[in-house]
Amino acid sequence: MILCDRLTKVYNGIPAVDDLCLEIPAGEVFGLLGPNGAGKSTTILMLVGLIRPTSGACSIGGIEVAAHPIEVKRKIGYMPEDVGFYADRTAAENLDYAARFYGLSEAERKRRVGDLLALVGLDGVGTTVGGYSKGMRQRLGLARALVNDPEVVILDEPTANLDPRGVLDYRRIVRDLAGRGTTVLVSSHILSEVSKVCTSVGILARGRLIASGDREVLSRAAMQDRVTIDVETGTPMPRFASPEILSAEFSQDACSARIVAESDISTLIAKTLYAEGILLRRLAVEKPDMEDILLSYYTEGTA
Amino acid sequence: MTRTALRIIAGKEFSDHLRSRRFHLLFAILAVVAAVGMITGAVQYTRDLSDYNAVQMIAEGEDDPTLAGNLAGLMRPSILSAYSQMGMLMAGIGVVLGIAMGFDLVTREKESKSLKSLLAYPVFRDEVINGKALGGVGAIALAMGAVLVVSVAVMALFGIVPDLGEFVRILVFGTASFLLVFTFFALALLMSTVSKDSGNALLYSLIVMIVLSSFVPIFAYTPVYSAVFGDPPAQPGTATYSYQQGSSAYMVTTTKVGVRASGDAIDPEALAEYERASREYTNQRRTITDIVTLVSPTGNYQTILGAASQPAGDNTPGLGSLLGALAYNLIALLAMPAAFFGLAWVRFMREDIR
Repeated sequence: MILCDRLTKVYNGIPAVDDLCLEIPAGEVFGLLGPNGAGKSTTILMLVGLIRPTSGACSIGGIEVAAHPIEVKRKIGYMPEDVGFYADRTAAENLDYAARFYGLSEAERKRRVGDLLALVGLDGVGTTVGGYSKGMRQRLGLARALVNDPEVVILDEPTANLDPRGVLDYRRIVRDLAGRGTTVLVSSHILSEVSKVCTSVGILARGRLIASGDREVLSRAAMQDRVTIDVETGTPMPRFASPEILSAEFSQDACSARIVAESDISTLIAKTLYAEGILLRRLAVEKPDMEDILLSYYTEGTA
Repeated sequence: MTRTALRIIAGKEFSDHLRSRRFHLLFAILAVVAAVGMITGAVQYTRDLSDYNAVQMIAEGEDDPTLAGNLAGLMRPSILSAYSQMGMLMAGIGVVLGIAMGFDLVTREKESKSLKSLLAYPVFRDEVINGKALGGVGAIALAMGAVLVVSVAVMALFGIVPDLGEFVRILVFGTASFLLVFTFFALALLMSTVSKDSGNALLYSLIVMIVLSSFVPIFAYTPVYSAVFGDPPAQPGTATYSYQQGSSAYMVTTTKVGVRASGDAIDPEALAEYERASREYTNQRRTITDIVTLVSPTGNYQTILGAASQPAGDNTPGLGSLLGALAYNLIALLAMPAAFFGLAWVRFMREDIR
């Protein structure tokens, strides 16, 4: 559904996006991850037709964005990172104005605006947007991105200003969209959020895609087949003898240890301790979280 | 669909202007100025007309044919003189109205972060800037139209009904006023596209407005002209003494008095040379003054206003002659907003959205 083919954008001789190749199938919830300045927002601006690539191309639903920006804009819903509205108008007026560009009739607009305001929890708020909190603006931004019932939704840092309730609503909305077959591209640096809603992720660093795929594949690749096991016992534990063990750190009293092995040897450790009659208080296999995965890729990608 | 987007944007901009407190305030001032100017003008016109009628009656009873002819040949007062007074006030307030309506059209979108969202809708970029300009033009036209209606209504209250010729001249005045306001609206729109924020856009607009309205015209003033292009040639056999009569911020008024230096006969060749140099100087000065007037929108406006508000009479040029005489000024008053808008359009199309 979304395709970037050697997409490049250069600002003043410095590539913000560098030879990016990316393919996001229809119905996917794709997380675009990366530190500040990685090129996430620039990539999105090219996808929504706001800036032209220096070279390469991107297309949505088989339509090249630079060649047919209007056709592409009809298919997508976009929420920018710094979401903005007409402060002297109400949420309904702002949404109605947006809806008019998609050729909806007045009755359709009225129904759609009402539904969307209810969806993001802003129904019944009659004040102008100038009096809204950042979180309320973010909710309204999400509603506006959905005003044309788009095939592709592109969200740039969607949870940056949301309160916990807003985050829950956002997750629910994204899952509903995915359930209806809508392709969602989420750009974020809040890794936990991406891991909760995205089915696959791409990691950008210095304008380049350094890794992409589903979370499990990336997780395994990031840890390079290394498993960390934390062990705590009631009495000092013996040294474990296994060719799988890469390193082991024991506390001074030998009652706790952190073992790095090539594979999960937690069963072997438990058996050894049981055979030695040592009381096992804790045995935990650490799985990498998104932050570990991301940091490992950043380190690799920027090295 | 493309035209639909343009219509949506222009409609919103038009509505924004009409809802704007700034517009309400300036429009109210403009309407009051128009009404007060017209009332003053109408009272003066009624008085002048009464005096004129009295003089005509005297002329009819006068035995001396020369005096009678002179009295009868006096120009009939015209209601257009009231428009002349109103136009002077309009030149100040209309300029402020134009700048106030345009200086934040693009910067406000940048500041509220709504520009990125607007451009992400299925619209072409030129529709955004064209829509903003159209909305502004509509609001200016409405304001100017309302001012004209107010002025005609005031005249009607005084029982003054303009004839066709006067009415056409009133329309010329209205068109020139509209173009003046539109010129400064287009200037402010340009500054709004090149500036990062509304404060800078307003500041740049005011600077250019001062340059065009006050700085450029000073080159046509005698002392400045003399300082830049030299003094006029001195008449042979006379000595010229200048004394300062008054001064203001950037204008010094001096009076020159020519005094015959001696009783000797003037050399005819020197006199012929003086006349040639004097003609050349006068022509050059007229050219410079015309150029300065053409470059200054307020200069053009005042020239048009002066010509359009001349009293009507048998010797008054017709509309064709009037428009012919004002052709350059009208073209300049059309070209300047077109140039400002063209630059704003190009700048907006190349705007870097990040």
